Amino acid sequence: MASKVTEGALTLLKTLPRVALNNIKDLPTTLYKKKTDRAAGRKKKGRGDKGQGARGTWDPIGYEGGQAPLILTTPVEKHYGKYAVRRQYPPISLLEVQRLIDLQRVDIKRPIDITSICNTNLYHLDVSKNHFGFNLTEEGCDVFNAKVNLEVQWVTELVIAAVERNGGTITTRYYDPQCVAALNNPKAFFEKGLPIPKCKLPPQDALEFYSNPNNRGYLADPEKVLEAREKLAQKYGYKLPDLSSDPVKSLLLMRKDPLQIFYGLEPGWIVNMADKCILKPKDEDYLRYYANVY
Amino acid sequence: MAVSKYMKLVARQGLYCKIKLREFSSSSCRLQEVTTPVSSSSEQNAAPVETKEGPQILSRSLKFPVDHTHPRLAWLDSMSSIESKKLGLLDLHPDIFATYPRVDLLHKNVHWQKMYRYINYNFEPSRAEMPGGGRKPWPQKGLGKARAGSIRSPLFIQGAKAFGPRGPINYFFMLPRSQRATGLRVALTCKYTQNDLVIVDNFDIPTADPDFLSEMADVRFWGHSILFVDDSDVMPEKISEAVHQIRGFNLMPAYGLNVFSMLKHETLVLTLAALERIEGKLLEELHTTAVETKYVNKLRPEDFRTRPKVDSTMYKSFTKPLEF
Repeated sequence: MASKVTEGALTLLKTLPRVALNNIKDLPTTLYKKKTDRAAGRKKKGRGDKGQGARGTWDPIGYEGGQAPLILTTPVEKHYGKYAVRRQYPPISLLEVQRLIDLQRVDIKRPIDITSICNTNLYHLDVSKNHFGFNLTEEGCDVFNAKVNLEVQWVTELVIAAVERNGGTITTRYYDPQCVAALNNPKAFFEKGLPIPKCKLPPQDALEFYSNPNNRGYLADPEKVLEAREKLAQKYGYKLPDLSSDPVKSLLLMRKDPLQIFYGLEPGWIVNMADKCILKPKDEDYLRYYANVY
Repeated sequence: MAVSKYMKLVARQGLYCKIKLREFSSSSCRLQEVTTPVSSSSEQNAAPVETKEGPQILSRSLKFPVDHTHPRLAWLDSMSSIESKKLGLLDLHPDIFATYPRVDLLHKNVHWQKMYRYINYNFEPSRAEMPGGGRKPWPQKGLGKARAGSIRSPLFIQGAKAFGPRGPINYFFMLPRSQRATGLRVALTCKYTQNDLVIVDNFDIPTADPDFLSEMADVRFWGHSILFVDDSDVMPEKISEAVHQIRGFNLMPAYGLNVFSMLKHETLVLTLAALERIEGKLLEELHTTAVETKYVNKLRPEDFRTRPKVDSTMYKSFTKPLEF
């Protein structure tokens, strides 16, 4: 088809009066031409009489007549240095998560991750603002009493303690921006017809955080994570519930593969929303690409 | 009673029925498209196919075919009778008859057509050229009046005009070639889209009586002003005679087709040969690789200092056609 714009314009033209000499007009930009030569031939060119104004010898901006100017006397505080390239983690507090659970906005019978939080339509992540996930903050750590499997992107020690005291588990997980966009609105992503991406590994400066068992990083050694759980329970003085005899043990220990971003879906698959089916690649090169880290 | 009278009035002006006709023609176009098999013709561009009703043209091969859109369809009509007689369907090139309607380019073309031949002959003499004014009208001092040196000063009543028009001045310029070609394409698109384009096989009409032609225009809702365009500038005798006697009807060869005339007339009637010529020329222009050179105006004021003689050839009456 021709461009939709042309088709639309021609459809509109059918209903309009006949194009004739009396109803055609130029573009407004050419009708109002800026006058540029108004000062031509005038002696002072609109700059007034003698002095700095006429000669254009103003003081530089910030000059205060000789005294030390503000820009030099005030020390610089670079709170927002490299703001544009920093990873941003929008906060969500334990109190807010507890409220979502109480109002049944999220289902605690399933693991809670970015998708389940964003599906509430109360929180959103914006890749264009360098959002890399949620920062679970400490507010409401005393009232938090849900037994959940949480997956967030940034936590502190106290938050981990508040979750684990109730018998739940928590993981910190890195997602690259493309995956964050997919997790933020899976339906919009699937409708694009793109294969599910494989998640990248964290960048150099985040690798330490996500492989640290104290942060419950997803790249940490699972045995060391168990050790860290015990240590934290001793530090804060609560009794750690026994995971091995838990009735919902399978839910609490459910984890994604480091390359996987959706539970039950593997990277490389295509979710076809129109035909309600999943397309899986068979080509060996594709399979090798989506199964490995390069 | 009153209603039917009103409807008649409206129908004569071609408003109400025009809309009805538009709906009818578009739907029947689609029907035709589905029901009739399209025959391909390689030898001729528009190949007449003999059927029970008479010759029917069902396809037309287009130069420079495009993928981005479909060819537009138009009826091939006949002027042999007052009533419309459909001879077939024609494919029109979408780049010519379905471009984006750049109304601003139409305006630019019309402005250019008005201005390139316009010469401003207005002239105001300067104070030096006016008679008198050499003597100081009153003494410099002692009268309590403003100082004055000449009665032809611009401040004086009956004085000269400062910076007055110093004609003749020409406003000649050339619109860029591409804009002129696009203007023609847009004008043709507007005519086709608004159902003001008629394509006929030729201009052969049975009589030279102007009533026949005006009744035909009335019955077919062509409006009050019609532009007939043929490929050649030697037109059939009967239509020339008929058109000459009707105010608002004009004949034009294809090489004279322009935006101003197309917009001035309500309906544009093309012959098949004119369609071929115009479409071919515009497509050639669209696909040319030649670099556009800037037009340099070499006219000097001497070239238009005097008013040109009006060519009165057209106002004379002739007993026989002119020979060139």
